[in-house]
Amino acid sequence: MYDFGIKSPGSVDDVKAALAEAEDGQFLAGGQTLIPVLKQRLAMPSDLISLGRVEALSGIQAGGDSISIKAMTTHATVAANNDVKSAIPALAKLAGGIGDPHVRNRGTIGGSVANNDPAADYPAAVLGLGATVITTEREIDADNFFTGMFDTSLKEGELITEIVFPIPESAGYIKFPNPATRYALVGVMVAKIGNTVRVAVTGAGPCVFRVAEMEQALTASFSPDSIKDGLVAADDLNNDIHASRDYRAHLIGVLARRAVAEACA
Amino acid sequence: MPAITVRVNGLEVTKEVDARTLLSTFIREQLKLTGTHVGCDTSQCGACVVTLNGKTVKSCAVFAWEADGADIGTIEGLSKDLPEGELHPMQAAFREHHGLQCGFCTPGMVMTAVQMVKNNPDIDEDGIKHGLEGNICRCTGYQNIIEAVKTGAKAMRG
Amino acid sequence: MATYVARNGIGERQRRMEDFRFLTGHGTYIDDVNLENQAYAMVLRSPEAHADITSIDASEALALDGVLLVVTGEDWKAAGYGTIPTKSGVRNFKNGSDMKEPPHHAIAIDRVRYVGQPVALVVAESLDICRDALELIEVDYASLPAVTHQSEAIKDGAPQIWDIAPNNICLDFELGDEEAQKKAFAAADHIITLELVNNRVTAAPIEPRGAVADYDAATGKYTLWNASQNIHANRDIIADNVLKIGKENLHHIAPDVGGGFGGKNGVYQEPILILHAAGQLKRPVKWINDRAESFLSDTHGRDQVSSVQLALDADGTFRGLRTETVGNLGAFCGTVGPFTPTGGSSRTQGGPFKFDAIYYTAIAPFTNTCPLDPYRGAGRPEGSYQMDRIIDFAAAKLGMDPIELRRKNLIPAADLPMKSPMGLDIDCGNFPAVFEQTMQLSDREGYAKRKEATEAKGLKRGFGVCMYLECTGGGPKEEAKVVFRDDGKVELSVGTASTGMGHETVFAQLLAGHLGLPMEDIEFHQSDTDATSMGGGHGGSRGLEVGGSAVTQTSRQIIEVGRKIAAHRFDVDAAKVDFEEGRFHVPGTNHTMTIRDAIDAQNDPDNLPDDLEPGCMNITSVFERGIISIPNGGHACEVEVDPDTGTVKVDGYWVVDDFGTIVNPMLADGQVMGGIAQGIGQALMENIVYDESGQLVTGSLMDYALPRADDMPKMVIGYYEDAPTEKNILGVKGAGEAGCVGAPPAVVNAVCDALKEYGVHHIDMPLTPERVWRAIQDAKAES
Repeated sequence: MYDFGIKSPGSVDDVKAALAEAEDGQFLAGGQTLIPVLKQRLAMPSDLISLGRVEALSGIQAGGDSISIKAMTTHATVAANNDVKSAIPALAKLAGGIGDPHVRNRGTIGGSVANNDPAADYPAAVLGLGATVITTEREIDADNFFTGMFDTSLKEGELITEIVFPIPESAGYIKFPNPATRYALVGVMVAKIGNTVRVAVTGAGPCVFRVAEMEQALTASFSPDSIKDGLVAADDLNNDIHASRDYRAHLIGVLARRAVAEACA
Repeated sequence: MPAITVRVNGLEVTKEVDARTLLSTFIREQLKLTGTHVGCDTSQCGACVVTLNGKTVKSCAVFAWEADGADIGTIEGLSKDLPEGELHPMQAAFREHHGLQCGFCTPGMVMTAVQMVKNNPDIDEDGIKHGLEGNICRCTGYQNIIEAVKTGAKAMRG
Repeated sequence: MATYVARNGIGERQRRMEDFRFLTGHGTYIDDVNLENQAYAMVLRSPEAHADITSIDASEALALDGVLLVVTGEDWKAAGYGTIPTKSGVRNFKNGSDMKEPPHHAIAIDRVRYVGQPVALVVAESLDICRDALELIEVDYASLPAVTHQSEAIKDGAPQIWDIAPNNICLDFELGDEEAQKKAFAAADHIITLELVNNRVTAAPIEPRGAVADYDAATGKYTLWNASQNIHANRDIIADNVLKIGKENLHHIAPDVGGGFGGKNGVYQEPILILHAAGQLKRPVKWINDRAESFLSDTHGRDQVSSVQLALDADGTFRGLRTETVGNLGAFCGTVGPFTPTGGSSRTQGGPFKFDAIYYTAIAPFTNTCPLDPYRGAGRPEGSYQMDRIIDFAAAKLGMDPIELRRKNLIPAADLPMKSPMGLDIDCGNFPAVFEQTMQLSDREGYAKRKEATEAKGLKRGFGVCMYLECTGGGPKEEAKVVFRDDGKVELSVGTASTGMGHETVFAQLLAGHLGLPMEDIEFHQSDTDATSMGGGHGGSRGLEVGGSAVTQTSRQIIEVGRKIAAHRFDVDAAKVDFEEGRFHVPGTNHTMTIRDAIDAQNDPDNLPDDLEPGCMNITSVFERGIISIPNGGHACEVEVDPDTGTVKVDGYWVVDDFGTIVNPMLADGQVMGGIAQGIGQALMENIVYDESGQLVTGSLMDYALPRADDMPKMVIGYYEDAPTEKNILGVKGAGEAGCVGAPPAVVNAVCDALKEYGVHHIDMPLTPERVWRAIQDAKAES
């Protein structure tokens, strides 16, 4: 690790002030990605601004048609939360399948979504469920949030404060884990929200994406059989030692069918 | 250099730490509690698992200063007055079932197992396997660890 | 004749003595060893697979506050240090000429030949300073073409790694009678050929390698604490061959070692580099590998590409076997590396099956990759994989039942003892009985029902077996030393090295059992060149076979001396004194004396007959086995395959092992289960991958998958105990490696069985979901 300064503000305003003071500050949420990155000297922030002491950033609130999860809520908390489990069981399942128990005790939804790792689970939930990302500056639709590999529409200094998930009629999430990391080699979230269906795929491409052809087919008939093979072209998918792009393309279809089946169950 | 105050295995300590000091380094080098092991640099292996305010964490993926004010539990605090005293029921179960060989992953395994059972006293075999996802053992093939956790859980239920 | 109770202590599930310290965090592993005033070292490793070092400039690093020393190849040249030799037991080409052994220095001199090779050592006051200093060392490389695959390396025109080795060939090798093999093939009805890859893997003990070196300027002596499995042999190489300080000047100690599996067996560069640094700085130096460095620098295992041919009659009778293999050595000869694909894989060819003739031939080339050295099994898993895969492949091609094919061709018990066509002495065993016991244990009757349940889920189920036969190895001699201390403690020192196998328990169990003393009185010492005068460390499943036999032999000698002391006290002939359960007794009298009484008496000359000296019960003996023993057994496994994704789940595992005498069944079970896990890992997920330029692609635990709890099936283990060997005192056959000898073929056979309806009859390891799925697609496209 290169050396850095540290700040542990207690409020969102103090967070903003701390960032403004820092030459090249970086937010530290759960640290489950950032700390290994720092250890490998792949990042060189001047200061780490820890969000761990900002109590206002933690918690889950259930409303009539949505669930709001504050940015610093851990995966374990989401997975175990009764409101989430009853309203969006697929979201609780997704959170309970991230990494491993120890990662889930530290890792946070805000950190995961802001980092937008191409193989992370949460982006599939945010995009698949059509959530709204609320920041210190504005509200961002999921469709406008994830812009590329490790890239989002967050501006310099903008901090995610909470994410609001509309409660779907039904949803399913199936992940095919990388055997080494338990990240998603491919993960598919399918959600039926009113008359629309959303299908979001993580792990397969450089950034989480929706599959319009599947959504149309499922809107017409919400059943696993509606998803035909070959709806996602392999060309732009990830190709690495863990899986070829062809295989990933194939898995998207298989997992999408299983996600629909789970949503229907 | 910030000073942090933590309760480690029930005892309060205050120490100065460098910003870069990981919780694992703090525990091993500043507190000399070398039962917490470091087996990798990407936070996969789980040999460094300790409890932080009652939750298991990989101490190699937490900064020491993040733990300021927290309760930390390490393997050394699990049983009292050893070597003559008694093992914690989970430790005893690991010995009974030969759930360890080289012993390097063992502290992380045992800390994970104890917490897993505290969270879910009636945990079943699938739950145990899922709960061990963040801990790699290269010696045992896991079967004896799983048996140990079952027995340890039973003993902890009393 | 006096009675002697041999079975004391044998067969008990004695719980482990070392567990107390491991379970409570009180073990002392290498990273827990810290010396006063120690400095820290880190290694600058080559980022190039093959390149000339045109310049190294460490001036900026040396100028950094807290940097104490930078060592480079230039320093090594100036010091005149020797090279690290290979101790491979096979050293000659088929034609008799010497193997090509290139100079292996502890640090790169002028040229680098694999990514990760040490280029410089930095020593500083802290690790953070070391890391800063590493970034300040300027190295200029002139890249050279690289070759990483062994089949490419031997082609004409391939990049040449060593001038002395044309076509990069270090060694070729043959074993068996090629003429007889050809005759057997000519007479057979079928010849089935299968090309196989035995994937490159790494031992990956959870404790990374590390060492702490100290130098005492007053005496000129060095001390090295080292996470090593083999301290005596490595001391000799480090002190005599490389540093040239004389082995009496190097005290080599291994503390608790967090797993080894062969990966901590060889001589590594870094401990040598820090010994040099400690000598230069006159202060202790500590170095610990991180996990990324472990992937780059721990010797790798397996990595053979083979062609296997089985000749058989129309009725399925095996006639001949021919195996041609190319085994990757990496850029240098490992400490015993060249032996693995040559001698290591050859001796057990044919397994427990009867053949008229077998011929084995191997080529061992250099490549621009990390050196290979033994990994758990060291050649025998490759041999077993070749044998048991060709059987199932032949069965599939010829429409035969692989189970029946094995049953038909197993060597009958009546044929033993025999010399195999490979010259292996198979002294005892009962392969058909082991096979039937395996079939029975694996519940063949229940299979149809399990298969039905699997298929109801839309999955495929398969069953596979492996009948393995292997052999022990490693050093043939071992020392066991017993010293009875005045405080009542019994020091037992053995030259083997436990890296988790439980020697501290099982050797104490034997000594306590033989002498009738409480386990708690025994204090175990190992892996210290001052504690035993010699030691073979760990390797080749030799611990109990040789070390346990040495303990038993020493125990017997202690009892004989005690018997004389008792005879002297009771004034009878020693032959009249019995010994049982810790007591000497003269039958027909009330004369009894406990072993403890004899121990207490041994230091006073008045208590001793004329031919004994005080301290006479403190005995050291060396046991030497004549020939290696032959562990064998049956593995059976069931898998579920998801044809839509290719995912394989091992859903049942049964083993019957013939390890001869089982001293501690709990420890034996542990060895088998751990070996199976590593075998399943190799079969399904583990793979070390280099790209064509020689970069390691699988350089972390995020890319190299190790089995986790939910990857493992329930394992059921049985033993065949009716064939103890006479090759050692205990009758044991060695249990450490067998699990990963048998598991890979059993798993792959089961997967191929599950997929036979698609026409899939072979998939190269590791059977990742994608490979399995692709095999199904390819087979579908073909049919």
